[in-house]
Amino acid sequence: MIEPELAAVFVGSSIRLAAPLLLAATGELVSERAGVLNMSVEGMMLTGAFAGAVGSWATGSPLIGLALGVLCVLPIAWLQAFLSITLRANQIVTGIGINILVLGATTLGYRALFGSRSRAEIPGLDKWAPPGLADIPLLGEHVFHQTWLLYGAVLLVIVVAWVMRSTSLGLALHAAGTAPQAAANSGLKVTRIRYGAVLFTGFMSALAGCFLSIGDIHTFTEGMTGGAGYLAIAAVIFGNWKLGRTLLACGLFGAATALQFQLPAMGVQVPSALLIMLPYVLALLAVGGLVGRQVAPAALTRPYTGH
Amino acid sequence: MSTALTLWRSVRPGPALGMSVAAVAAALLIGGVLVALMGVSVGEAVAAFADGAWGSPYALAASINRALVLMLVGLGFVLAERASLTNVGGEGQIAVGGIAATAFALWPPVAGLPWGLAFIVPMLGACLAGALWGGVAGVLKVKAGTNEVIATLLLSFIAVWLVYGSVQSEQLLRRPMTTSATLPESLEIPLATQLPLLLGDASVPLHAGLPIGLVFAVVVAVVLGFTVLGLRLRATGLNARAARRAGMAVDRLTVGVLCAAGALGGLAGACMLQGEQYTLKAGFSSGYGFDGLVVGLLARGSVPGVIAGSLLFGFLRSGGINMEMVAQVPTALVVVIQGLIIVILAGAALAIQRMEARR
Repeated sequence: MIEPELAAVFVGSSIRLAAPLLLAATGELVSERAGVLNMSVEGMMLTGAFAGAVGSWATGSPLIGLALGVLCVLPIAWLQAFLSITLRANQIVTGIGINILVLGATTLGYRALFGSRSRAEIPGLDKWAPPGLADIPLLGEHVFHQTWLLYGAVLLVIVVAWVMRSTSLGLALHAAGTAPQAAANSGLKVTRIRYGAVLFTGFMSALAGCFLSIGDIHTFTEGMTGGAGYLAIAAVIFGNWKLGRTLLACGLFGAATALQFQLPAMGVQVPSALLIMLPYVLALLAVGGLVGRQVAPAALTRPYTGH
Repeated sequence: MSTALTLWRSVRPGPALGMSVAAVAAALLIGGVLVALMGVSVGEAVAAFADGAWGSPYALAASINRALVLMLVGLGFVLAERASLTNVGGEGQIAVGGIAATAFALWPPVAGLPWGLAFIVPMLGACLAGALWGGVAGVLKVKAGTNEVIATLLLSFIAVWLVYGSVQSEQLLRRPMTTSATLPESLEIPLATQLPLLLGDASVPLHAGLPIGLVFAVVVAVVLGFTVLGLRLRATGLNARAARRAGMAVDRLTVGVLCAAGALGGLAGACMLQGEQYTLKAGFSSGYGFDGLVVGLLARGSVPGVIAGSLLFGFLRSGGINMEMVAQVPTALVVVIQGLIIVILAGAALAIQRMEARR
């Protein structure tokens, strides 16, 4: 029998670990719906994590860190958009290129700024629990007492769901990724929609990165995203380009990651490598069609030539 | 004569070469500016770089050994690319190749094999493991329509942790006497299973992987340029539906070419383990798979391009390491330069295509 407290800790840490994936995957979903696959979501998250940490460290204010994180990711997102939409470059190649570039640049920047002060504690975002929920025994402390950005993320996702489902903007996004030519014929600006979608992915990825560095562990480490961006993409595929199922996938990946800390605490001996690997194995099974055949947006990764 | 002419046509430099050179030059220039911004004398950094890359016979041989690994991964990329498949799984293929090579080399009967089989058997095992790893992505693509980029990438993450797991447990490959204080690693592989040094002299560590790798480069060039198989791959890549209608076994070609690419990656892992490191450690592939991917991208489908690119990146790696040790410039600078090269070339791809179409 699992102790209730351990179960509450597990649920809490699953949610905490799922949150950055949730943010990044929601951003990625919007962009993929519009027809652009951002492999660079990993790099955008890493940039956000780094810039957020630097901002928070330099000013002592995690809020300024968050703002700087978003501000520094937008040029990266713009670069991805310019390369893949305007220059019609291969979206996968540009994504990987940007990821490598960012990994090198943030590592350089980290050494230059922090040097010997590595792993120094950085002021982080405050924790908060919704009034009422905070008082529930066990759950209040372990599940609902989270970084406020997590609640912001939930709110954002709800807004995105509403926009995609019930507004003309959502319809336009869908059209740009499914039948760009038809969309253009009916007067939509496909290029502009796609730019907007990629920039939105950048915004969400920046929040996801900041969640890692100043929300969760209050420090920056080199390459700290460690493949979370790719997991976010896998979550979108797992979710069959539908928001609800994408969120479910993020939760599953979060729980799989949380097991790393949970099982040893329960005295279960499993090689840690296997547990770290688990989300990637789940993602592979997911993209391997275990969850049913997927239907991607028809024009995903196809550049729109405008004639 | 006509064969020579065909050969020349298949390797002659196109406008892509000029663009690649320009991209590399621009990236290096930006790297120089970054060095200056870090407050390091550029001359000192360049001297340290050159010294580490080709300053001594040892440095030169070490760079070439690195280039060999990158060349094998790059060849795998180019091979798959011909069928319009993007194999970004080099890192994972190296990793499983390293695990298999270690396991075979440490299997007692192998070290006693005659006629050089002691070092060839682990290499074959590594090829097989890499082929399996590449094949998984191929089968997923054919059976479930999974994008091979995502599949090979996820497989890479899994394989990197497999290395970690296999040296973590004494039932697997972990050296028995390590304490918890030392990082987990395997036993050193027996001398007979290490790749023989070409010059028999440890001060010039060129090893037997080099001629083997060059043979593979020639084989890949011939297959792509002169055989029906190469033609079928191209047809599959250009229009799989038309190729299928023309009676080609498109599914089998897809799985086969990803297996072959994986085998080359696995062989690269064997070369790293049996030719240089001799002990399996967590993270032993240290990004060579991704570097090899960049080499493949740069080459734009040409085997001589792969060789040139792998030499460039082999020198960049060696020089970068020395630059960190001597001039205190982090090796991350080399990573930035690589990222810049990919981004610039990806952005220029449309322009290159137009130039090539005009020829």
